Amino acid sequence: MATISIPARTDYMKRGIAGWLATVDHKRIGIMYLASTFVFFLLSGLMALVIRLQLAAPGLQIVNQDLYNQLFTMHGTGMIFLFTIPCLVGFANYFLPLQIGARDVAFPRLNALSLWLLVFAGVVMEGGFVLGILGLLPGGASNAAWTAYVPLSNKQFSPQIGMDIWLLGVVLLGVSSTLGAVNFLVTAYTMRAQGMTIWRIPMFVWAMIVTAAMVLIATPVLTAALAMLIADRNFATQFFNTANARLWQHMFWFYSHPAVYIMILPAMGIVSEILPVFSRKPLFGLKAVVVSTILIGILGFTTWVHHMFVSGVDPIVERFFMLTTMIIAVPTGVKMFNWLFTLWGGSISLKTPLLMCLGFLSTFVIGGLTGVIQALIPLDMQLHNTYWVVAHFHYVLFGGSVFGIFAGFYYWLPKITGRLLNDTLGKINFALMWVGFNLTFFPMHLLGLMGMPRRIATYTGDRGWDLGNLIATIGAFMIAVSVLIFMANFIQSLRRGEPAGNDPWEGNTLEWTTTSPPPEHNFAVLPSVNSERPVRDLRLAAAGQPPAASREH
Amino acid sequence: MLVPPASYDARLINDLFGIVYVLSFIIFILVEGLIVFSVIKFRRRRADETPNQVHGNTAAEIGWTVAPALVVGVVFGFAVDTLGRMTARGSPTMPLAHVHNINDKEALRRIEEAKQVDLVIEVVGRQWVWQYKYPGGNVTANETLIVPANKTIRLDMTTADVIHAWWMPAFGPMLYVNPGEVSYVWFNVPPGEYIGQCNVFCGVAHAQMISKVRALPEDEYNRWFQEQTAGVSGRVAVGDPQRGKDIFMNQNICWSCHTIDGTKAQGNVAPRSLTRFATYDTIAEVVPNTAENLRDWLHDPQAIKPGTAMPNLNLKPQEIEDLVAYLQTLR
Ligand code: HEC
Ligand code: HEM
Ligand SMILES: [Cu+2]
Ligand SMILES: [Cu+2]
Repeated sequence: MATISIPARTDYMKRGIAGWLATVDHKRIGIMYLASTFVFFLLSGLMALVIRLQLAAPGLQIVNQDLYNQLFTMHGTGMIFLFTIPCLVGFANYFLPLQIGARDVAFPRLNALSLWLLVFAGVVMEGGFVLGILGLLPGGASNAAWTAYVPLSNKQFSPQIGMDIWLLGVVLLGVSSTLGAVNFLVTAYTMRAQGMTIWRIPMFVWAMIVTAAMVLIATPVLTAALAMLIADRNFATQFFNTANARLWQHMFWFYSHPAVYIMILPAMGIVSEILPVFSRKPLFGLKAVVVSTILIGILGFTTWVHHMFVSGVDPIVERFFMLTTMIIAVPTGVKMFNWLFTLWGGSISLKTPLLMCLGFLSTFVIGGLTGVIQALIPLDMQLHNTYWVVAHFHYVLFGGSVFGIFAGFYYWLPKITGRLLNDTLGKINFALMWVGFNLTFFPMHLLGLMGMPRRIATYTGDRGWDLGNLIATIGAFMIAVSVLIFMANFIQSLRRGEPAGNDPWEGNTLEWTTTSPPPEHNFAVLPSVNSERPVRDLRLAAAGQPPAASREH
Repeated sequence: MLVPPASYDARLINDLFGIVYVLSFIIFILVEGLIVFSVIKFRRRRADETPNQVHGNTAAEIGWTVAPALVVGVVFGFAVDTLGRMTARGSPTMPLAHVHNINDKEALRRIEEAKQVDLVIEVVGRQWVWQYKYPGGNVTANETLIVPANKTIRLDMTTADVIHAWWMPAFGPMLYVNPGEVSYVWFNVPPGEYIGQCNVFCGVAHAQMISKVRALPEDEYNRWFQEQTAGVSGRVAVGDPQRGKDIFMNQNICWSCHTIDGTKAQGNVAPRSLTRFATYDTIAEVVPNTAENLRDWLHDPQAIKPGTAMPNLNLKPQEIEDLVAYLQTLR
């Protein structure tokens, strides 16, 4: 097999604005995905800061109640649909073809369409929100929460055009992510390098395969529900009239529970890539991790009713969904232990990417446990819609997905930019983010147990909620500082970062055989693969050692 | 739970919490312990270290599949057992506190038979107030529900608009109140003051949709109920601004939507401040600001301005008189 190291031909990176707009190159599209979703992350984060300011003490009126409702609606929608889901798609765009040794995705033009649909929908939704604040959009933006339950979201109770804009935006985002999913599935199926048999597929690629399959099954249901609501609002149809208001909840959660896995599986994939590299060991129980990922993908479709335990569903049905929800903890636990035993006995290098993964492991476990607790119907009757739930899903989505995404940034940005990020700044970033995160969200468990409901714009001082809320607000600003440090780190690395070289981390997967950034068509010679760690094999061969680890599974 | 449980169901929930906390805490310590231990013990000491290349271990995989599965099974058992014993869900004739169709006579009858109760109170949730109607229909209340202590009470809950949920953290279970349906809550609590609030996001002033329960010893409750019944048929005295202010700020929830500078009323649901209300030409920009119109407005805002966000608060004639007197002092 040829050694793949050709001089960087990075001029495709320099061809001006038009070059970017017209590109169908998966790497450029990936970069634009990452950049635009990061902007949406900052916007949703700013909204979270306003939310936290308003709740810092009882009775504050920093924004009025209607604006507060718009803020948490857009915060939630933005974080989920405009940041977490598409940001992970951005990583997949850039790295899935590289990791499987392909020159691009299967349908490059479709890929560009997904990107521009995302950007367009994001601009429309955030734009609608800003217009609302400026008073240019009568009635303001959507303020019915990201769940948009009927009848609150129908024409009678939410007459504003902002609600329709929101619905249309989410439809467009659904189309964008469906197109992306088709693309990834076909790419991973047809374009893998020679020798990349099923058990040699990198973990991140596996995660994207399962995620894409979930997107294909779940998204059409959400899109249908949104279209039906748009019709109800504008063409006097009666899909979600009083007699079947619960239908919306079923359709919404049939998508939105799997959406949790659509957000967490790729992040788990990133973690499964990084842990072996930074502990110099193979992933423990690779097959078990893959099978668990697939099982989570399947079981993820059997649990949606756990969001409806108090909305009046048949009791036998409820018990069934309680059990299925709890069962998901088993494959999740299997993954957890395999990660822990990947670290065990390794040679652990505490660089920022690994730290972010430890952030993932240490906080995601709390989200997992609180999830099982909530799945118990009697406890859910007490916890539903309280701040406990807000704590739980931030432990999963922030503690899980966002730490995974930042691990991905620190691990892969050097491949994209060709320059390393500063590791000391990275460590400060990690420490502030981890502490800030726990300060923000841990007290919310206790607030929930004290009976504080979510989605309230203010509260009075006689409920005992002051201290927890104050701590949460302080934590939120620590997170904000940590994100600023990340941005400073990124900018300084572009200016004067150390050159990354092809393989700064002693990586395992094929993206580390090519230059950083990779040339236009990724590889001069298409690589071939003999184990699940092809780049390690190359390294060992170059050092004159036999590729010992190419143990066949 | 951090709210002391006051009812039977809340105590059951609390016990189940106790069990799962202990189990979760063990798993939590195990995982965090493994992370910390590995990071310290196995951190890289020499740049050229090559650890043993362990690919996995089938026995371990089976172990950490079976063990969590067993824990899940046991916890599921506990949860089903608790459900079976809860007042809110357990009764075999009536496993769910919910009737899907308000006209389903058979289901309504089964609810009646499900449990002996001492008092049934009708609850209506509307944007953004809970309203209560006592048997007989003459006595009504907003926000604060007054009940006899140590008696079994059933609330028959409906909604006038969107989904709400009446919830007292100290009583345990909550249930959505859906359009076109009836939901039920049973409780039996010792004397005391309890507070909770609407648990389903229901629009602009969701945060103000507070509910309170005051459980009085039986004789005190009876006395209160007598007074209320008398109050309805009694003669209406001339309005007293002082009493009106008290209603506005304390007894009722006007303060939560309206702003009057220099008072606790700082709500921002109503578009105009009431600080100088007496100087306005109109009420709600539809009718001239006269005492008579104001009475009608307070009696039933929807009748004056259909679709307005101001709810009908079921004010009694005397309360209206006092409020009018108070509002007319605002200049
Ligand atoms: C749930 C919120 C809410 C509550 C509670 C509430 N109001 Fe209102 N009120 C409103 C709104 C909204 C308006 C404006 C109505 C409109 O213009 O459609 C209003 C209008 C009024 C007006 C006319 C003000 C004007 O600008 O012309 C008066 C007077 C008034 N309310 C008195 C009261 C009193 C007295 C109470 C307590 C018994 C009360 N309100 C409780 C929401 C509320
Ligand atoms: C930057 C740090 C963050 C802070 C300080 C924060 C804070 C909050 C708070 C306080 C709420 C509750 C608002 C309310 O119920 O009144 C909330 C809601 C929410 N957050 Fe976050 N959040 C952060 C990051 C995230 C991330 C990364 C995600 C997802 C990936 C996320 C997703 C959501 C969702 C879905 C909601 C629910 C919105 C709704 O109720 O409709 N948040 N956030
Ligand atoms: Cu779910
Ligand atoms: Cu509410």
